[in-house]
Amino acid sequence: MFLDACSKPGTVTSASTHASGPGVGTYWPTGSPYPLARQDSPVTWKLWREPIKPGLAPEKGATLQIYNWSDYIFTKVVKEFCAAYNCKYQITTFNNMDEGLAKMRTGQLQFDVFFPTPDVLGKLVTGKLIQPLSHSYIPHLVSDVWETYQNPFYDQRWRYTVPYTVYTTGIGYRRDLIPDAQIRGMPNPYEIFWDTKFKGKVGIYDDYREAISMALLKNGITDLNTGNPKNINEAQKTLISLINAVNVRTSTNGVYIGIPKGTYDIHQAWSGDMVAAWQYTPTQNMKTWQTLGYWFPSSRKGAVFNDTITIPANAQNPVLAHHFLDWMMTFKNSMLNFSWNGYQPPQRKADPETLTTTKSYYGEPYVFPWLSDAVVRESDFHTGYFEEELTPQVDQLWHNAWQAFNSA
Amino acid sequence: MPDRPASQPRRRVKVLPRKRPRDEASGSWYPRWYWPVFALPGTLWLLVLFALPFYVVVSIAFGTVDPVFQSPLPVYEPWWWTKKYLLEEWHLVTGQFRAVEVRTLVYVVLATAICLVVAYAVAYYVARFGGKRKGLFLALLIAPFFISYLMRMLSWVELLQPDGYVNSVLTFLHITPHPVNWLGGVPFTVVMGLVYGYIPYMILPLYGFLDRIDQSHLEAGRDLGANPFWTFIRVTLPLSKPAILASLVIVTLPMFGDYYTNNLLSGSPKTTMFGNLLDNSMEATGQGPEAAVLVLFLVVFLMIPMLYYMRETAKAQRNQ
Repeated sequence: MFLDACSKPGTVTSASTHASGPGVGTYWPTGSPYPLARQDSPVTWKLWREPIKPGLAPEKGATLQIYNWSDYIFTKVVKEFCAAYNCKYQITTFNNMDEGLAKMRTGQLQFDVFFPTPDVLGKLVTGKLIQPLSHSYIPHLVSDVWETYQNPFYDQRWRYTVPYTVYTTGIGYRRDLIPDAQIRGMPNPYEIFWDTKFKGKVGIYDDYREAISMALLKNGITDLNTGNPKNINEAQKTLISLINAVNVRTSTNGVYIGIPKGTYDIHQAWSGDMVAAWQYTPTQNMKTWQTLGYWFPSSRKGAVFNDTITIPANAQNPVLAHHFLDWMMTFKNSMLNFSWNGYQPPQRKADPETLTTTKSYYGEPYVFPWLSDAVVRESDFHTGYFEEELTPQVDQLWHNAWQAFNSA
Repeated sequence: MPDRPASQPRRRVKVLPRKRPRDEASGSWYPRWYWPVFALPGTLWLLVLFALPFYVVVSIAFGTVDPVFQSPLPVYEPWWWTKKYLLEEWHLVTGQFRAVEVRTLVYVVLATAICLVVAYAVAYYVARFGGKRKGLFLALLIAPFFISYLMRMLSWVELLQPDGYVNSVLTFLHITPHPVNWLGGVPFTVVMGLVYGYIPYMILPLYGFLDRIDQSHLEAGRDLGANPFWTFIRVTLPLSKPAILASLVIVTLPMFGDYYTNNLLSGSPKTTMFGNLLDNSMEATGQGPEAAVLVLFLVVFLMIPMLYYMRETAKAQRNQ
């Protein structure tokens, strides 16, 4: 221990072997402290402690501490949960995953539920920041949720996570300026970002993984976790050419605020942002809602994602937290949440064919018919491409490309 | 040299009691520690809120990252420091980032120049011609401080939207046939955003100084035959040089690190400033040391105007 204290900070003194590592997976690149999950090489995380025992009563008079992205959960759903379980709630938010992880690591803040992306799961399990789930409290995951999430590739046997929402990354656009047939008829619709007609009104997400992934897809590269310097370099050049062509801008809220207001005509878009964008149109009527368009490849070969819910290791109300996870897995509650935040839950009963006609909590369809590309199907998770965790060396290449774009 | 005769008595040196410092103004005596004690809160403040955090930044810049979380891991022992990130970023700062550095310099110089012209005129008017309404003017000058910088920028985002009030007025008056895309990555918008955001910080120190200029100096100028213009050029302006320098320092230093104005009013890589590069590194996983190195580069660069200001201030004090 004394020698450890004298050693250089950050030095791994006892390298974890594959056998003693925190998880089991076939893709374990050099330098990574745990196996990295890929669609074709799933990871099973080891139980670093036993889950809570089944059949325990929920904590009484508790305050459920929720740690989530900002504006990502309908408080009505949480209020109804608290009314059913006689508890209070408090929502604390983070703006990006690094911020979320940093606060979780301090251990000072004791949250009961946490909403991470699957690409940080290795960190959370290795750092023992989340606890294994006790499945008996969450029966609705088995009864209501897609088969894919009974055994997701990033968390085999759903030992630590339940899925929260599913979404795709496509192109959001103004239908009053770009007819659906035009973008759908293009041999490579990603090229619409380069259309000089829309100069000054083209946006991409202010996120290096999303931006470079779009450039990779435009170039025909489908490995969105590539470590090939040639591919990354080409993607960088592709992005830089976007600056000269249309003076592209980066934003985080350009889809759901910018497109309805006309600040952007075209913007890289998460399906959930586009589905919720109608709530932000300057005037609330069908005519303005019809100006919102979304494109995703008809082959469904594009970027797909999901977010998860976990229970932190130091949760003060773990039983209540398990019940909350189950609450969010039920069809009724998750669809109520969908009505508000636009991000679809992976529900079996949410038929993709009828989501464009079924009325949501607000009396409008969950997804407007002209936004049908934004409906996510379970099969998308077999045909689409995931952005997963990169090794630090590959991540550096991606970041360098992003800095080159920003300083071009 | 002959030895001193043994019989000669040694000269006795009288040891006087150490005098306590005397306050020249009041004639009172104070213990030696009396005045230094007044510097204690400021010294503590500097140590705790500047020196220590700055050492943490240095320790991150020369440190490493957590092997699991990729979060910055400060190394406080200098003997473990690594120059890896410093060299990497130096390569970028002297190469790839040069266009951004030049752009930042141009934006800041332009914005500061506009701030100075407008702020000086406003401060001069209030100080010299405010009369009974000086208090009201002062309150109006301080009013922007009650609203956060972010809120003021967001209000401009609304005003400059394609269907915002600015475009409505311009098209109504037929100044432009179509709405101007002010938020479409336009350098003019970013520079004006910087001016709007920072100008209150320039007006106040200028006003404070101009208000204290002795009127007899101006009267002397006129008595010697100078008209109001030359009185201003030969008397007021030279007298207000320290205030101009101080306000320039107050405004330019934060402008160089500003990233939010560009994020909100443009977002285009064509208007990226140095602060945006820093922010990008801060936001990215595993880039903490890179961000800290960029902070150090910025600090070193900002030392140049700061040292110039200190030199000029010292010179002015010597001349008094």
